[in-house]
Amino acid sequence: MNKLLLFFISILFSFNAFAVTNVTFWHMEGVPHRVDRIQTLIDEFNTANPDINVTQEVQNWGEIYAKAPASVAAGTAPELLVGIPDFTPILAEMGAAQPVEDFVAELDSKYGFYQKALDQYTYNGHTYAVPLWNMALSLWYRKSDFEAAGIEPPKTWSDLKKAAKALTKDGVYGIGLPGNKQLYTDQTIYSFMVNSGAEEIYNSDGTLRFDNPQTVAAYDVYKELYQYSAPDAANWTWGEAEACFASKGCAMILQFTVISTYDSQAGGDASDLGVIQIPYANGKAHRAGTVSYVNSAMIMTDDEAKMDASKKFLSFLMEPGNYGRFINMEPGLFLPITEAGSKDSTYWDDPVVVKYKSQVETMLDNSTRGSLFGFTNGNTFTSISSISAQNLLAQTLQLTLIDDKSPQDAVSEGMAIMTEAIE
Amino acid sequence: MKKNNIEGWLFVSPLVIWISLIILVPIYIAFELSLFNVKIIGTSGKFVGIDNYIKLFGKSKFVNASLNSFYWIIGNAICQTFFAFTIALTINYKFPGKKIMANWIILSFIIPTVVVVVIWKLMLSSSSGVINSVLIDIGLLDEATGFFSSPNKAFISLVLINSWRWSPFLALIILSGLNSINREMYDASKVDGANFVQQFLFITFPNLKSVLFVLGLVGTLLSFNIFDIIWLITKGGPSSATTTLPLLIYETAFTKFRISQAATLSIVTSFLLLLFSIIFIKSMAPKEDD
Repeated sequence: MNKLLLFFISILFSFNAFAVTNVTFWHMEGVPHRVDRIQTLIDEFNTANPDINVTQEVQNWGEIYAKAPASVAAGTAPELLVGIPDFTPILAEMGAAQPVEDFVAELDSKYGFYQKALDQYTYNGHTYAVPLWNMALSLWYRKSDFEAAGIEPPKTWSDLKKAAKALTKDGVYGIGLPGNKQLYTDQTIYSFMVNSGAEEIYNSDGTLRFDNPQTVAAYDVYKELYQYSAPDAANWTWGEAEACFASKGCAMILQFTVISTYDSQAGGDASDLGVIQIPYANGKAHRAGTVSYVNSAMIMTDDEAKMDASKKFLSFLMEPGNYGRFINMEPGLFLPITEAGSKDSTYWDDPVVVKYKSQVETMLDNSTRGSLFGFTNGNTFTSISSISAQNLLAQTLQLTLIDDKSPQDAVSEGMAIMTEAIE
Repeated sequence: MKKNNIEGWLFVSPLVIWISLIILVPIYIAFELSLFNVKIIGTSGKFVGIDNYIKLFGKSKFVNASLNSFYWIIGNAICQTFFAFTIALTINYKFPGKKIMANWIILSFIIPTVVVVVIWKLMLSSSSGVINSVLIDIGLLDEATGFFSSPNKAFISLVLINSWRWSPFLALIILSGLNSINREMYDASKVDGANFVQQFLFITFPNLKSVLFVLGLVGTLLSFNIFDIIWLITKGGPSSATTTLPLLIYETAFTKFRISQAATLSIVTSFLLLLFSIIFIKSMAPKEDD
């Protein structure tokens, strides 16, 4: 009898020993070399952790806002989902994105998160995602264009307007600015808002404070600069702007990075590629900043074993030695969000980063002054998802760029649209 | 009921039940959803009765999208009919390379929509697009224009792109209709001295009535439901100028996160399409003596 019992117990233990916890990792980095890099890291992790099996599933940004909530409703959500700040409140409100402040604090004590990175995911007394990497908008240009025109790279809005005008000639557009009702336009207009002191969308009580003189000033200067942009910029996303810069059709653009296309399609002369902080409103040097998007991973399961496995995988990615390789899935685009990550040799040793080191350093420096609409100074409310998902900053911009309303009228109407959206 | 009738119903009943399920169940779910105020899919909401319907008709976005849908259907109907007839009548004549041409035109609707969109966006680009360059070279434009930069230009450009994509498909259907017309009628009319226009008006057109009826009905419904090309190129912009009802439904559900309002829009849209189909069939269906 005892032998039989022992047999059953050993069978039970052997089953347990072979039990594998599956973790599905959804991300939107569908470019083949990014998928390959993530797979390499996943393979290393799975080999080192035979009791866990991580698999990646590539999604795309165009669908994820619809697909993720639907997958939660259908009970088929992944364990890990990469997201951006304005996406997280929806999933947190649904109870899908799990609070992870304890886990983040543990990682923070080891690697030291930049505070700005945590701000974008911390509200209602919780942290809802683990920051993974940062992206911040900068102003890109060719140094030789400025030398030929006899002007200095711009620091203020006045400088920028002069530069855009001077560089608009011979079929070249002085500055490539989008006018599309799309996320890229949200980002570019907000980077002007930040630099005029209009980075706050909300008051502390959750009401909107979008309609203010600083916002109007930002929309005004954007409208003025837009005349130097390409005629089809009303339909631009990031790719068109980058292509315009690479083909020398645009003298300046606002972009997270141009390094990859510049290197592969525009000659790749690192010494001629200029990148600077986005110019600020005259007399507002202290407001200098930009828009930044901290990408993160949300843990979407409350199953303890799957949560632990997910945390273990994220810890693996954040480890120096892995982290640099992870964010260098696209060298010169994704920026570190931890002190340790910023010093990780696997980040700085990448050939592309070595070649464009000064540009990457400037991008990293800019990113430390980055903020995101709806996620500033703790004034974060879940209704921001309605504003960002509908691209209402960009929609407001179209009121003045396309419908030719005055910036003041456009901002007032935009405020009304936003108020209705968050009801 | 006669025995034959019962047998007939028994034979078709599995299909009838299946089709009823896949049509009626989603409509019922959408209708039920439209009576609540659910915001995000999968969450619960409060019962609001017909509030969503009352609010819908007062919304400028709904009126704007309905008008855009109407113009979209008319624009596509005109362009596609013109292009499709031109293609079909051309291919209907014997000339060297006819087979190659007939196969070549099919490519436009075999190519995936995403590829079509990328190609057209590149060709219409103001900084590197071939169409701007050609128009400047032949003197029609002084400087590059943005084909999607203003509401009217964006709408017309989209109609033309969509027509380019679907006209060959319609042309093939018309061509099959043309091939079924007895050639002797053309030969006899030639003997009587009929010219090309008279042949078209008195032989070709009357004999294509049933084909055109099907095309009118199906083509209108297909055009109305076009989502991918518009979404991928303009996302309904600029300034909502190309937001048709399908886009508005998607935006309301998945970017505005108002799933009940989107369901309301879907129900109203389904009703409008059903109404259109009934009126079209009643008034345009070819009579037996035609």
